[in-house]
Amino acid sequence: MVDISLHLLDLLENTKNANATRVSVLIEDDPEEDTLRITVSDNGRGMSEQELKLAVDPFYSSSGKKTGLGLPMVIQAAEMAGGTVNIKSEVGRGTDVTVLFRRSHLDRQPMGDPAASIVAFLAGNPGIATEFEYRGPKGRYRFDSASEMTDEGGKPLGHLAFLWSAEEKLREGLAKAGFRPD
Amino acid sequence: MKSIEDLERVKRETLEEIGLRDSSGSAKIVVGMGTCGIAAGARETMLALIDELKKRRQTNVTVSETGCIGLCVKEPIVEIQLPGAEKVVYGNVTPARARQLVTSHVINHQPVQELIINTGNEE
Repeated sequence: MVDISLHLLDLLENTKNANATRVSVLIEDDPEEDTLRITVSDNGRGMSEQELKLAVDPFYSSSGKKTGLGLPMVIQAAEMAGGTVNIKSEVGRGTDVTVLFRRSHLDRQPMGDPAASIVAFLAGNPGIATEFEYRGPKGRYRFDSASEMTDEGGKPLGHLAFLWSAEEKLREGLAKAGFRPD
Repeated sequence: MKSIEDLERVKRETLEEIGLRDSSGSAKIVVGMGTCGIAAGARETMLALIDELKKRRQTNVTVSETGCIGLCVKEPIVEIQLPGAEKVVYGNVTPARARQLVTSHVINHQPVQELIINTGNEE
């Protein structure tokens, strides 16, 4: 993965595989504290302690037929940048993954394009209610897919019209909250 | 008299309405979005497809995703299925090639032979 937003998309894809119906993403970008923290929470099936141990093993996949590199790669990226990954999971309740990077670390990957990751996830998973929040240097921006699926008159948007609108709003909202690609 | 902007809006809404009514007969585009696909650039391919469909005012198309299909070396992989036609699977689909697939395959119904890695319904 060449940037952090791609790890974010990969974490989001895990929520689909956990049969989540609600997902929330929080990006906290704090230059003063020198931290960049990403939290992905879902209400999927969750993992037992044993499954959680296996999930961070690069040679294990819950699907049983793939390598399962997603979580190990994000752990490596965080640790290379002086950060940590914290996973809390409970069977039947869901999973929270928090990835912390030291913002100024020389080996921190660039943030990339979080709006693109959210749009790509929405495209493939219109049935998962997705909340996204960015807390940046200039303020906060929130996006809730469930309330963005209709036009101003309350008429449902088509699949593509929703994606076009979502991308525009995400990019505009992120810029206003002070997000700048690095 | 309506302005050009008003007419554009009406046209857009009408096209969207048609798209909503006829989703069962819509073209389907599926992008491989497993870890291998993401690492190979599938997100950019997906965004290029969505953007090209916007530019071409194509609303009667469903864009979706699938996981790893076991051909990681061919990622990004894109499947296109037109109504009444066999699914066509393309490999190594860069954003530029994704735009080409929209114009050639989705709009003009001409599959891009040199990018095909497999056609559907073969198993």
